[in-house]
Amino acid sequence: MDQTPTPTSPPATSAETTTTLPVRHLEFKVALLLALTLVLSVSFVAYVLYARGVFESTQKVVLVTDSSDGVSVGMQVTFRGFSIGRVRSIALGGDATVRIEVAVPKKDARWLRVANVFIIERALVGGVGIRAAAVQLDNPLLPDGAECIPQGGLSGAICTVLRGDGSEDIPRLVTNLKDLLNNLQGLTAADSSLGASLANVRVATDRIAGQGGLLAGALGSEENAKKVVAALDRSNKLLDSLTAASARLDQVFAKADQALVKADQRVFGREGVMDETQRAVAQLNAVLGDARESLKRADAVLADAQKISANAKGATDDLAGLRAEVDASLRKVGALIDEINRKWPFKRETEMRLP
Amino acid sequence: MSIRAIGRSASGGLEVFAAWCASWWRVLHFGATALVMAASPQAYDRATSNLMARQIYFTAWQILPGFVLVCALLSYMVIRIVVAAAGTYGLAEYALSFAVRVQVLELVPTFVALFVALRSGAAINTEVALMHIRGDLDALQRAGADPMRHQLVPRVIGSAVSVVSLTVIGGAIALMLAYVAMYGFSPGGIDEYTEVIGSIFDLPVALGLGLKAPFFGLAVAIIPISASLEVPREARFAAIAVRSGMVRLFLALALIEGASLAIKYI
Repeated sequence: MDQTPTPTSPPATSAETTTTLPVRHLEFKVALLLALTLVLSVSFVAYVLYARGVFESTQKVVLVTDSSDGVSVGMQVTFRGFSIGRVRSIALGGDATVRIEVAVPKKDARWLRVANVFIIERALVGGVGIRAAAVQLDNPLLPDGAECIPQGGLSGAICTVLRGDGSEDIPRLVTNLKDLLNNLQGLTAADSSLGASLANVRVATDRIAGQGGLLAGALGSEENAKKVVAALDRSNKLLDSLTAASARLDQVFAKADQALVKADQRVFGREGVMDETQRAVAQLNAVLGDARESLKRADAVLADAQKISANAKGATDDLAGLRAEVDASLRKVGALIDEINRKWPFKRETEMRLP
Repeated sequence: MSIRAIGRSASGGLEVFAAWCASWWRVLHFGATALVMAASPQAYDRATSNLMARQIYFTAWQILPGFVLVCALLSYMVIRIVVAAAGTYGLAEYALSFAVRVQVLELVPTFVALFVALRSGAAINTEVALMHIRGDLDALQRAGADPMRHQLVPRVIGSAVSVVSLTVIGGAIALMLAYVAMYGFSPGGIDEYTEVIGSIFDLPVALGLGLKAPFFGLAVAIIPISASLEVPREARFAAIAVRSGMVRLFLALALIEGASLAIKYI
């Protein structure tokens, strides 16, 4: 400390070595750092002012709604996912309605049309969002300071406001869930019917696992199961005797069968009763066939006569009538033959079996 | 324990508390004096300007490359984590907002303050403690030079300017990296990015950030210097001066950060 310090040049002490080290271009470097800091700060402030829309003219839209819940100043208003404006202020109106003032830059105001709908919606996760939905882009532009009112308000509103709340259903959901849990609790409680049923099932399975097996489980006790087994034994014996009885019956049926075969031969066998009858019917059929042939020939003669008497067609009306009658008779005979054939089916099926 | 002993310990506790209060009062008094002196133009002459420039050089310029690198790496990492976490919880639309709020408003200023406190705050603390113990400051006083004006205020101003400068640079890096992390190098996200930045930096937030950095800067110099001037003039007290200065500085930084958070979010 033997140096003579001056006010402008403080004493150079060993403690000052850090600050007395020679530094090249000290002033320039520090000035550069300060200039960089200043430029960055000023640019950032200007950028933030630009981002907050200080430099652009805006138009005002007032959204009138019944609650400002979740809405905050500075909140974005989006149109198809793009931000087109911000909430500038929120105020409680004289009629107890909430007035949300939205500032929309002039360049984005073209998306706001008359009959526009603004939706204030709360998502299940996240905050509240205000969304503009243009109904008709052909409609005239929304004027500056337009007031949008809730749906169902005054008629003739220039635009409307809707509220949608994704979390509105949560209380109802919670109530339902609570009921469900109560039911579940009731179901699984020790004294519940489900518990009692399970206890019964356990008793039943214990019985099944016991000596009586499944039968004891089904009938309630081993005694009952033994009775069933005894009943089954008796049934088996009964079935044996029934089998023997049916064998004897079979023999009886075989004999009856032989008797029936004999009777069949008598009735339907060669030279049997049915054979004779069939023959008689065949003859009758032949006679009727002949009669039909004769009548056909008469018909042909009559047709010839009709041709010959072509000149005297008018006078042959009787003949035509006659022919019609003959035709009718012929049809009747044909029908009669068909009828006989139908009623005597032996022609088609010569053998008949009795059951 | 006898009543006398209780009374002794109570009076001892009161004494400690009174000393603690007096010590903080000296910090505030020193800070206020330094600020008033810094605000008067006649406090600056060639020597003080030179010392201030040196303080800025050693505190900010010398570490700038390393700081930029560490800050960029840290920022990018934190931003990616925040963006990924927001995406996981289905809050991707708020990712940029989260990232900028976390990084630019909170982490970068605190990181810069701690960085400067550990590097330059500790150095200032030791330097001034040694000057005080050796009687250099008294020598200056006797020589007619105001040690406050020539030795202490330039350090305070230099530290504050350095912290503000590094915070601005770190914030700019974080803002740029947030854009890159969200949109890559395509200019397609500029509109959305501008919207988000506009929505984050309203007047209270911008003011809070603008005040927090200078407060951090002042604390980094004022508290260690004040702690250095308090100790008795014995060499063994130099370590105690540094210890108490750094502890108080850490407490003050935590208090400033806590107050800033409380004002913003409560």
